[in-house]
Amino acid sequence: MTAKPATRQNSAVRVSMDSAEPHMAKKQNKPLAVKSTRNGVSPDQRTYTIPDHRLERPNFSIRQGRKGGKVSYEVTGDLSAPVPPIRESKYLNKKRCIEIYRWMLLNRKMEAALENLYKQGKVVGGVYFGLGQEACSCASAYALHKDDWLGPMIRNQGSTLVRGFSPRDIMMQYLAKADSPTRGRDASSHFGDIKDRNIVAPVSTLGDLLPVLAGVALGARLQGRNIAVMTYIGDGGQSTGVTYEGLNFAAVQDLGLVLIVENNLWAYSTPADMQFRVKDLAERAIAYGIPGVIVDGTDACQVYDAAHEACERARRGEGPTLIEAKMMRMKGHAIHDAADYVPKPLFEYWRKRDPITRIENYLLNVKKWLTPTEHRDLTAGVDQQLEADRNFAVASPMPEPESAAGGVYCEDGCHEIKPKYGTPKARKGLAGGPGEVEAAVHLK
Amino acid sequence: MSQLTYLEAIRQGIWEEMERDPAVFCLGEDIGIYGGAFKVTDGFIDRFGPERVIDTPIAESAIVGAAFGASLIGMRPVAEFQFMDFIGCAFNQIVNMVAKAHYRWGAPAPLVIRGPSGGKVHGGPFHSQNPEMWFVHTPGLKVVCPASAYDAKGLIKAAIRDNNPVIFFEHKYLYRRIKEEVPEEDYIVPLGKARIAREGRDLSIITYAAMVYTAQEAAETLSKEGIDVEIVDLRTVLPLDREAIAATVRKTSKVIILHEHSRTGGLAGEIAAIINEEAFDDLDGPIVRIAAKDSPVPFSPPQEEYFLPQVSNVLREARRLKSY
Repeated sequence: MTAKPATRQNSAVRVSMDSAEPHMAKKQNKPLAVKSTRNGVSPDQRTYTIPDHRLERPNFSIRQGRKGGKVSYEVTGDLSAPVPPIRESKYLNKKRCIEIYRWMLLNRKMEAALENLYKQGKVVGGVYFGLGQEACSCASAYALHKDDWLGPMIRNQGSTLVRGFSPRDIMMQYLAKADSPTRGRDASSHFGDIKDRNIVAPVSTLGDLLPVLAGVALGARLQGRNIAVMTYIGDGGQSTGVTYEGLNFAAVQDLGLVLIVENNLWAYSTPADMQFRVKDLAERAIAYGIPGVIVDGTDACQVYDAAHEACERARRGEGPTLIEAKMMRMKGHAIHDAADYVPKPLFEYWRKRDPITRIENYLLNVKKWLTPTEHRDLTAGVDQQLEADRNFAVASPMPEPESAAGGVYCEDGCHEIKPKYGTPKARKGLAGGPGEVEAAVHLK
Repeated sequence: MSQLTYLEAIRQGIWEEMERDPAVFCLGEDIGIYGGAFKVTDGFIDRFGPERVIDTPIAESAIVGAAFGASLIGMRPVAEFQFMDFIGCAFNQIVNMVAKAHYRWGAPAPLVIRGPSGGKVHGGPFHSQNPEMWFVHTPGLKVVCPASAYDAKGLIKAAIRDNNPVIFFEHKYLYRRIKEEVPEEDYIVPLGKARIAREGRDLSIITYAAMVYTAQEAAETLSKEGIDVEIVDLRTVLPLDREAIAATVRKTSKVIILHEHSRTGGLAGEIAAIINEEAFDDLDGPIVRIAAKDSPVPFSPPQEEYFLPQVSNVLREARRLKSY
């Protein structure tokens, strides 16, 4: 069991997690180095619970070790466990489960097409993959409603598909085409849409989307709406200071931030064990005074259920939720990186837990929601869509050099600025203006 | 018309914009019940409520990020920095997230980041800086540095109404030292337009913010010596008013550029380049720059005086330039 409840002394905050859900594994709190009293818990120990929805709790660590003259990463722990089943969703029906599967398949196959385009020399720059993370991207974004917002990161290209961008948009980004969402001005997943799809374009630095998404929720609340705003951070990105600032701000303001912490074990070449000291990143939620939850990031149903509950909480105006999704990045940081530093047994372990293989098995063999014929048709439809989008993207023009000019500023009515969700509430006026100020100040 | 200090003019400007447009709101550290470290937002929370006057954690990146997020859905946030020296804490949000948004993905960011900057108050290395040049080199931002109370009110209102991110540097030395007639009615001072703070024929001083007063004091002395000084107050340092810079050089043929931030990589270098491009043939003497020393801002009053440009520096350089 890895979701060990964090036990802390002298903490001022008591976090109550929603553990009433029947499928949530309840944790027995075990105080550290303190004599047990009533119920095994000393009254001078505060206890916290983190629901862990996983049906298996992988237990291994990755450390640097020396063999001869060479330092490499070594994995220790049990890598022989059988693959667990998909957890039954409390919310997804047959139709929606199949829709998520289709998004995942589109995500996977689109990235395979991008890899081919790269090998054909058509891609400008690198390609980033979400291989092994498609369930996390697609099932989480699927929990958003139309008015909600998304802040995707580099491996969440699947999330942007779910929000309404097409594979051709993403392909044109990688091909630096004139008709890409950024009209050639930025690459990869660096695009957004404030009008229809409600996506904030990411920047390359990590954690910066957290306060921005929190601000979207703040603005919406001023306009009379509680919405869910979802973004992602990795096991590496969560080390940044702005991650703390953003989540803490959302917490104190009760803003509906749904933070998916994608623990994919590797930040470029640095393993999670060298990134943080806690056992589970979900424990971080305790320090923010918000709910934290652990899911298997390769189980689309678990991801969806947790994301859905967090979004509902956000829409009720109750504040943020941290969801840790555990999985592994199944390729290098980007296409140039062969990921030779990853111990081979780890790839073997997680390849057996491939999110698409798992949900396919669930849909075809466990639930029998898809017949082999239906599955073949669905796959063929995805292939056809990607072929058409690939051809469109490749045939589309490169931008004119001069199109690099302009647009640095919003000028001459290029955008109308108006509240998206309604006129902000404003207190009715009292007479008079601001009075004089004679108060003592810091520096005169 | 009423007599308002520079600080009161800014307060009145923000207040009026909040009255006028419910999309305008303020966020920052200690701006609510306390009214801000310099009391710019004193009384705002009572009038507009804690929903629109938001006390934040001490988290500058979160303040800017949240302002940007709110601006994406049509709000017009006004984010206060307790001291502009602390803007370094939010640097990445400002230069990478906010400034590039419209160019990269067509997202306007109608937000204002404002707060006190500047020295001569013995605030030491972390409460006296003029960090505007960190942002003048960042396309996508606008950078405003008012000198007068009239301008401070008109420019803050223009900044709030602008559809771009504006960094608004208030000079803390001027907060309570400048008091002048400020109209009570609604007016704006357009961004990107300089003003002639003093008409003159013989020599131009191009400057802004608190240094306008240093230039004026020097100009009074110089006028008694028969040197008629023109003072150009830039008001906005990004974008620069190239036409006003060129026009004053064409008029006087001699120019001093005066600023309170350090010399190397300072605004004077950029303005000298503009003059070179726009009005080289009109020059009748070297372009002179007067700036702070290339060091952090020292704390002790004699040291700070040594560090900052003084009236005596302007007098010496003006007399030297006149001899050409």
